[in-house]
Amino acid sequence: MKRINKIAIIALMVTSIFVSCKPDALNDLGMERDLLTSLNGNWKLIKATQVDEDAAKKGFPYQQIDITNLFPYTQFVFSLNVAGGQPTTFTSTPGASPKIIKLTSGTWTVDNLKYPKNIFLKSGAATDTVSLGGYPVGSATTLKLKKEKKDFVTGKLLISYTYEFTKQ
Amino acid sequence: MKQLIYFLLFLMSGVAATAQNPSFSPSAFTAEDEVTLTIDVTGTGMAGVTDAYLWIFSNPDLGGGADGITNGAWGNSSESAKLTPAGPNKFTYKFIGTIMFGQTPAQLKSFGFLLKKKDGSAQTPDYKPFFFDPLIFVPSMARIFPGKVDKDDVVTLNFDNKYAVANTNDKRMAPATVTITMYDDVNNAVGSPLTVPLRKTETTIWSGSFIPDASFTPATGRTLSKFVYRFNGTILDVNGATMTVSTANFESSFTKMK
Repeated sequence: MKRINKIAIIALMVTSIFVSCKPDALNDLGMERDLLTSLNGNWKLIKATQVDEDAAKKGFPYQQIDITNLFPYTQFVFSLNVAGGQPTTFTSTPGASPKIIKLTSGTWTVDNLKYPKNIFLKSGAATDTVSLGGYPVGSATTLKLKKEKKDFVTGKLLISYTYEFTKQ
Repeated sequence: MKQLIYFLLFLMSGVAATAQNPSFSPSAFTAEDEVTLTIDVTGTGMAGVTDAYLWIFSNPDLGGGADGITNGAWGNSSESAKLTPAGPNKFTYKFIGTIMFGQTPAQLKSFGFLLKKKDGSAQTPDYKPFFFDPLIFVPSMARIFPGKVDKDDVVTLNFDNKYAVANTNDKRMAPATVTITMYDDVNNAVGSPLTVPLRKTETTIWSGSFIPDASFTPATGRTLSKFVYRFNGTILDVNGATMTVSTANFESSFTKMK
């Protein structure tokens, strides 16, 4: 009798496990993120960081410093305009901030419309390039731009600057 | 008799010195330097072989090692691993550590290698370890950040009291400002010297920052080339009066960047 009970209990457990096993419903991933459009708007600089890439590569101490408050960086405002899924114009208004972008206005393009990594700025014959360190999408609210400086002769990366912006 | 023994010892040391195998040129090199290794395989399994291939690896017995990017497979060495013949049983090979191992100078401590036939059917014993010269950080009283700067960079000049010489005004000084004098490419002073306040950034460190091309404008056709700086501060003299003092001058040149 005991044996029959045991078998019955095990059978019941197995049945309940199988009955309770159901494939999880996949949540809707939502709309695909439009990274390019997320760049559209007026952006105010809130943080600037300088990295000694050469020191970092060699494992030296003193690899980076926060330069936000050394100069009035937070006055810098950068506007990127997007229309019809295409980058159009930009303006940079440094105020008293160091000119982290040399050009004050012009047009901009990206290396990849869907997953932009580099922003190419153009004003007449003058050009400037910044790379995207972070997109302002999802829970991220800041736009991160990075500028790298390399040795003119060897091309070795020596310094980088990371600028964080918040939307105005 | 004693003189004869000394003479024999001298001769033996000379033989030992010439028998150094493998050898490297330059003899001391960092992980970023190009080095040529020369090896004599006489007396090894590779003696008499005309085509030798390098099998190289980093940080032997230390952990964090990597195989050389030229190694290829053990049974089929890469052609880029082939050494250059340099006489009977002698071969040379040129490489740069960081490129060979795809590792940073901070990651690279040492390396080892052996020579083999392309198909791995013969080889020398391991030759190891050979240490890279460390790219050492040398602390000093005056330090510039970043280590290399261009004219449009944020330049921070640091005074570290910890490394000031004892019993000098530098050591006793309460740092207050740093004065920068700029020079152009023909060594003419540019504008007037700039004095910026220092801020305390660590227990023994005071720092002052400036952007060269925002503070100095060279004459037409000229370019900013280098700058000289000194730290200023105060000490108390024997009567307790405050006295202004300065460190010696330190010089730094710009690195052209793109």
